[in-house]
Amino acid sequence: MSAAGTAQPAQQVKLSLPLVYQQELFQELRKEDELVVLARGLGLIRLITNLLHSYDAAGNNLIVVVGAEDRENAWIGEALAEHAAMSMSSRARGLTVVNTDFTSVAAREKMYAAGGIFSITSRILVVDMLTGLLSPETITGMVVLHADRAAATSLEAFILRIYRQKNKVGFLKAFSDNPDPFTTGFSPLATMMRNLFLRKASLWPRFHVHVAQALEGKKKAEVIELEVPMTDSMREIQNAVMECVEVSIQELKKANTGLEMDDWNLDSALLKNFDMIVRRQLDPNWHRVSWKTKQIVNDLTVLRGMLQSILALDAVSFLQQLDTIHAAHSPAPGSTRQTQSPWLFLDAAQTIFNTAKRRVYSSNQRPNLDSTNIDALRPVLEEQPKWAVLADVLEEIDRDLYFEPAARDDSNGTILIMCSDANTCRQLRDYLQTMHVKPRTEQKVEEFHDPDEDKPSASFMMRRKLRNYLKWKREFAQVSANLFSENQKAITGAVDPRLRQSKGRGPPTKRRRVRGGGVVGAGAGPGRLDNGSIAQYFEKPDEVAELMAEVQITEEETKQKEDIVADPLEDMDDYYRLYEMQDLVVIHAYEGDLDEHILEEIKPKYIIMYEPDASFIRRVEVYRSSHNDRNVRVYFLYYGGSVEEQRYLSTVRREKDAFTRLIKERASMSLVMTVDAHGAEDPQEAFLRTINTRIAGGGRLAATAQPPRVVVDVREFRSSLPSLLHGRSMVIVPCMLTVGDYILSPGVCVERKSVSDLISSFKDGRLYGQCEAMFQHYRSPMLLIEFDQNKSFTLEPFADFSGSLASVSAAHAGAGDLQGKIVLLTLAFPKLRVIWSSSPYETAEIFERLKAQEEEPDPIAAVRAGLDADTQAEDRVFSAEPRDMLAAVPGVTPKNITSLVLQTENIKEVANMTVAELDPLVGKEAAGRICGFFAKDLLEDE
Amino acid sequence: QALPARGSGSSILVSPRQKGNPVLACLKSVAWEYSDILADYGLGATTCALFLSLKYHRLHPEYIYTRIRNLQGKYNLRIVLALVDIPNHEDALRELSKTSLVNNVTVILAWSAAEAARYLELYKSYEHAGFAAIRGQQASGYAERLVEFVTVPRTINKTDAVALVSSFGSLRHAVNAEPEQIGVVGGWGEKKVRAWCKAVEEPFRVRK
Repeated sequence: MSAAGTAQPAQQVKLSLPLVYQQELFQELRKEDELVVLARGLGLIRLITNLLHSYDAAGNNLIVVVGAEDRENAWIGEALAEHAAMSMSSRARGLTVVNTDFTSVAAREKMYAAGGIFSITSRILVVDMLTGLLSPETITGMVVLHADRAAATSLEAFILRIYRQKNKVGFLKAFSDNPDPFTTGFSPLATMMRNLFLRKASLWPRFHVHVAQALEGKKKAEVIELEVPMTDSMREIQNAVMECVEVSIQELKKANTGLEMDDWNLDSALLKNFDMIVRRQLDPNWHRVSWKTKQIVNDLTVLRGMLQSILALDAVSFLQQLDTIHAAHSPAPGSTRQTQSPWLFLDAAQTIFNTAKRRVYSSNQRPNLDSTNIDALRPVLEEQPKWAVLADVLEEIDRDLYFEPAARDDSNGTILIMCSDANTCRQLRDYLQTMHVKPRTEQKVEEFHDPDEDKPSASFMMRRKLRNYLKWKREFAQVSANLFSENQKAITGAVDPRLRQSKGRGPPTKRRRVRGGGVVGAGAGPGRLDNGSIAQYFEKPDEVAELMAEVQITEEETKQKEDIVADPLEDMDDYYRLYEMQDLVVIHAYEGDLDEHILEEIKPKYIIMYEPDASFIRRVEVYRSSHNDRNVRVYFLYYGGSVEEQRYLSTVRREKDAFTRLIKERASMSLVMTVDAHGAEDPQEAFLRTINTRIAGGGRLAATAQPPRVVVDVREFRSSLPSLLHGRSMVIVPCMLTVGDYILSPGVCVERKSVSDLISSFKDGRLYGQCEAMFQHYRSPMLLIEFDQNKSFTLEPFADFSGSLASVSAAHAGAGDLQGKIVLLTLAFPKLRVIWSSSPYETAEIFERLKAQEEEPDPIAAVRAGLDADTQAEDRVFSAEPRDMLAAVPGVTPKNITSLVLQTENIKEVANMTVAELDPLVGKEAAGRICGFFAKDLLEDE
Repeated sequence: QALPARGSGSSILVSPRQKGNPVLACLKSVAWEYSDILADYGLGATTCALFLSLKYHRLHPEYIYTRIRNLQGKYNLRIVLALVDIPNHEDALRELSKTSLVNNVTVILAWSAAEAARYLELYKSYEHAGFAAIRGQQASGYAERLVEFVTVPRTINKTDAVALVSSFGSLRHAVNAEPEQIGVVGGWGEKKVRAWCKAVEEPFRVRK
């Protein structure tokens, strides 16, 4: 942060906001509460840290940051510390991050009392505010990040409501860099602002006059666009994948008539969030759609991933990925066309697999007359076109530096290469390291000097990759045979598809036995199984040997260092030293707002954007305009006519449209609701409650001034129901409950299940155990089946009921649908009451009605229910994810999982335990199964 | 003419009141017969069902209470099978929820006559069934278990699971692997690596 800003509010603080629009925005924010929507890449985090610092420096305050992600926390904390050091403000205390793992209740109370800036996970914050651990009156102000996520029923909106109810003077600022969510629905901006309790919206698109002026002045960054053509085979694969996508979409439409699917077409399928669009449209009916529809939606994700990786991965890795995809989607035994991913049946799928293989190696006819071995394989190893362009660009930069050295400039001579992820980083690093290494094979060297010889090429890298691939493939054949042995058996049991293709070849049955039945298909390409899907392809061993010989390690290659994947950093001093920044090539992946930091730190003179990213261009613009004396030249590579290009263009367009719509809505916004939603309790309501008018039968007239009270399990705060109950002026008591989710009265306990929860908790038997526990401690346990607000309120599947006898026979009890399981549950627990609610709003009303006439629940008794005498409630809180994983391990049952979880630390520990160690925890038989599950070596022959 | 024995058989007993109910037309896979019983449907020795169309309930709100009272506390499991055939069902369902708590009935919703019939059939045919199906199944092959285990973190899919074990050989190696090593596996981006490592190393208990 070199340039100190000019803006100076009340305190003496140094800011780092060099651009005019940033300062303007900062002043605005200091003055009043508002919602800021800033285009991505224009420095949102920097603005926030400056703002926080200006409060931090003042000292004596308590500021809460809501909705920050982990890496944002890290970045804000770092920046605040840096600011504090720069402006030497002694009272600044930096950022304190609160998330469950590390801070206990007592420690939190102490920290809150001390004040400062806190970033608190929403779920913890809401509980702390409700329990009074952090009382809203003491908060100086709140800063909400990712304001676009604050839907009406969200936790963030709940937090703000509690805050505003008790605290009318504290400040409240909300930020977002994603205008898209503000534009869907009816008057979305107004709704969102009501949720945020804000009156003013401040919109800063890239085309805002002040932003444009600041970025397009004379200090403009120099951008050179390079359109790289794809190779023919890449385009061929892309087209084939597109065809598969199209067919999948058609299948979806066919299977789900009656849904609105106008915008499910090939064009939108290219967009980044197409999966989400499909999911969002299907979501209301997700519990009703057929199994097949779900599979096709998954297929779409896979296919779109392929579109991405054909551009990003090198040919060998792409083939490897295809192999894995294929194995994972390989048909189950006895499956038919009906249960398969439809795209696997297309010719296009065959094109994908064949072309991908041809990019790596191809078969050519041999003059050899040996009839058993007609095909021989030779490596092809197509290179990604961008690599050559990258090498060219680097060379150009080299020349540039050589001919006009040392222009008076503040930036380093560093070249920064930006790409989309760590894998691409690794690939480029490999390429740049080895592009001048020539794998000289036997005769070629002496005969003639090829002018191409000196051109950079990836052949060394690709050969190494191919070697690894062949090795991997051999193991993979084994693994997949072990994993999917049933499938493989089914495949070999079927008529060998090669018989149809290759008459007159040698006796194929002999060869087929060579590798445990895994060898199907030949160099010609994957065969097809009986049911028409493509068979997994494995090379014949002799072919592999030949190919392996082709890419044998040459002398030149052995000189190269081994690739280091994970470095334990031993002997640091011997092997490491600091490099001069002057002559480095730095390869980095896009990382959102952190990229600004990288630019500031590296001060590159040349930037190569290996993949397009709209917000990074803006970051470079901001960087360039912020510094007078740093010249930057940006090279921008993209594949012409590719998905990548389309996506880039459409994100830019969408953002612009979103801002335009927002500006329009703001202009016509009727104005502004009162901030004081649910401010005070309605006095009339409060009075009416003191007289219980239901004197049903008993004639007991009780006057209670108490507002109704509900004990809620802390884990339930992920759902919107607690917020809605609070909105109906009930007192929410967050507790750590072992039994039940909501305690409405001393006798009434509710277990809440959304439809998807219901399905999954039937599957793993969780619900049965929960019901048992509820019946031990409560008089009237209830199961709440809650549908989503927008989801269709029915359990009927789209398919009609086949009234066959088999579907209801007791032998298959509960095997099938949800209805059957509900029936079984009610038969098992005849006293279990089922509440059906069409939305969380409804649930809140139902709860209110159920509570009428009942006594208020006792939180202490509720917490104690289900606990042993000596265990603490806090010990029994488990992290959901590792526990679910453990539950999936064979040998682990709902009974022994508790002791396992209490006695061990994490999955890693369980995975490394021996049978003898596990035995005392779960018993011998289960211990053996658990241990076997983790230790099973798939590379071994069975 | 010998009458069939009462309540012993494998058929659903239907009260004559239900004559004309379209649900009867959909009862196909389990036999049914008319019988003079208190409830609308007798589904076994201890189970009965009252049928309630919400449309009717709106016109005659007191009807269902009379019927429940007439059951006289008989039957262990008393079901009110409500057919949701009106769009604004909220009020009625709110009331039924309260009723189920006060009057000891279990409310089951159906959205069509066919679904209602299916519930009746299921209740009858599961009369003596065990509850193993909802107590969690353990039996499935190694591959499925493996995929299930690895795909618990939401970002990881089946393809990733196969890729992971195929490059590490066994699950134990995969669990012990460093993030950098996993990152090299095809298809495993940073997000997935982070999710996996977090899930594997995160303590079961949230303490302190």
